Amino acid sequence: MKYLSRVFWLAIGCTFLFPLYWMITMSLKSKSEAYNNQFGIPYSWDWINYSEALSKYHFFVYFENSLIYTIGTIAITLTTGSMLAYCLSRMQWRFNSAALLYVSLGLIVPIEVVLIPLFQLIKWLHLKDSYWGLILPYSGFAIASCVLMLFAFLRSLPKELEEAACIDGTNVYQTFFRIIFPIVTPALMTQCVLLFMRIWNEFPLAFIIASKDQFRPLTVGLLSFFVSVGVSDWGLIGATMVLSSLPMIIVYMIGNEKIENALTAGAILK
Amino acid sequence: MNKYYSTKVSIFVFSAPALILFSVFCVYPLLPEIWMSLNNHDGFRNLGFVGLDNYKDILASASFWTAHKNTYLIVGISVFLGLPLSLMFALFMDVQTPKLRRFFKTSAMLPAILSVTVVAEMWISFYEPTYGLFNSILRSIGLEAWTHSWLTEKNTVMPSIGLTFLWQYIGLNAMLFYTGIKTIPKNYYEAALIDGASFTQVCLRITIPLLQDVTKYVLILSALGSMAFYSQVRVMTAGGPGDLSRTVIYQMYYVAFETSEFGKGTAIAVVFILECLFISFLIQRFVAREKLEF
Repeated sequence: MKYLSRVFWLAIGCTFLFPLYWMITMSLKSKSEAYNNQFGIPYSWDWINYSEALSKYHFFVYFENSLIYTIGTIAITLTTGSMLAYCLSRMQWRFNSAALLYVSLGLIVPIEVVLIPLFQLIKWLHLKDSYWGLILPYSGFAIASCVLMLFAFLRSLPKELEEAACIDGTNVYQTFFRIIFPIVTPALMTQCVLLFMRIWNEFPLAFIIASKDQFRPLTVGLLSFFVSVGVSDWGLIGATMVLSSLPMIIVYMIGNEKIENALTAGAILK
Repeated sequence: MNKYYSTKVSIFVFSAPALILFSVFCVYPLLPEIWMSLNNHDGFRNLGFVGLDNYKDILASASFWTAHKNTYLIVGISVFLGLPLSLMFALFMDVQTPKLRRFFKTSAMLPAILSVTVVAEMWISFYEPTYGLFNSILRSIGLEAWTHSWLTEKNTVMPSIGLTFLWQYIGLNAMLFYTGIKTIPKNYYEAALIDGASFTQVCLRITIPLLQDVTKYVLILSALGSMAFYSQVRVMTAGGPGDLSRTVIYQMYYVAFETSEFGKGTAIAVVFILECLFISFLIQRFVAREKLEF
């Protein structure tokens, strides 16, 4: 029984790894081999798909866009979010708890249900077909979870350091950027990882807002490329898939443990 | 100390950017959403106030109900199949040797970090009727009669998409459960061991009850996540055949952007927001219990 369950879960574990195998082998097969030998190991390694993919598929444009969207969102969300969290945890004002409640509303509304008015808003603000058109809404939607997590982190932090800084005559802005910011870095890193995974792979909003090819991120660019190729050339599709997944897989291999910790920190705090 | 922190200027400087960003892009769109749903709107102009007509129209359309059926099928799959499976996976992972656990942890997370487009496109090739993986396997073991054109047949299209979704997120959920298991103090298990409890007993009596916080988190995550199910459908079938694999978000998107009836699209969205609120209320009400302290 124990043996049987181990075999079962090992098989499941292998199915999770199967896409990697499938993508890589597929990308090395010629057009006809992709049909005759869809799941086996390629007879001969054929790198032509990659050169074709790089010439037809605007990988570097999409990659750069994804990078801009992701880094822009992370920068804006973490700066504004940590400032608000600091304000809510340390400063005394009348609407303190109301603001916290207000921000936590953001956890209930999924971005998909306001797709239509958001589209209109971005058109109205003339942000469509610019990088801000995605960065700003992404940040707006990411702020809720960022603030709540950092708030929980900051509340548990003793105030002595700041008191000392105050006595030394720094003002509150210096205290925040020089003292608090470095201390909350672990929590910020967690948020960074979560945001990276979310924004890098975001699809619905990007599909609608980034309609011009030069602004498309990888997820959307990949889909339009699939549509243009059709299902005739799996080798080429495999190569573009490997190219598009490569950045994420490299990040995952380097930051594997950090990503796990980040995801699970999210689970325990909420 | 309070004076030091809380001048009017510093409060404003620290709170305003985030609050403005959040209000403009996350909360504000709800207002025009409600207003548009009461008007005849084609995406460019407002063609007049129509009251609740949009709501009557969408409730009378068959596609709206197909979309609901599909969405709740996905929610059902991810909650009633996905959660128990990932919990079992996590329990199993806990009793493995460190090396094997490393393998499971790394491999299980992989599908969740790949982009939706890549995963969906890959499964399109698995479901492909002539050369695809599933039909090839079925043919080779002599079950020719069971082969299907998975993504274009009425009865198989939604379960097929559901399986893809299940596969992509099961590992991630298992990881969340697994960290929950790690936070349970060891002495509970030692006590159970002395009393001679079996593995199943320990799981049922100790681990699962003590995991309720994590369970709730994963439940909310997967229930609301699958309510907003859209991307996989977009890539795998584009809602087809006909309207048979549209989900609610897809239907909303379709009505607004492909038939230019923004009024009706927003009406669908408003109804759906209420459903999302109701679902999260249900979970909060019936799953939340007293906070556990170890």
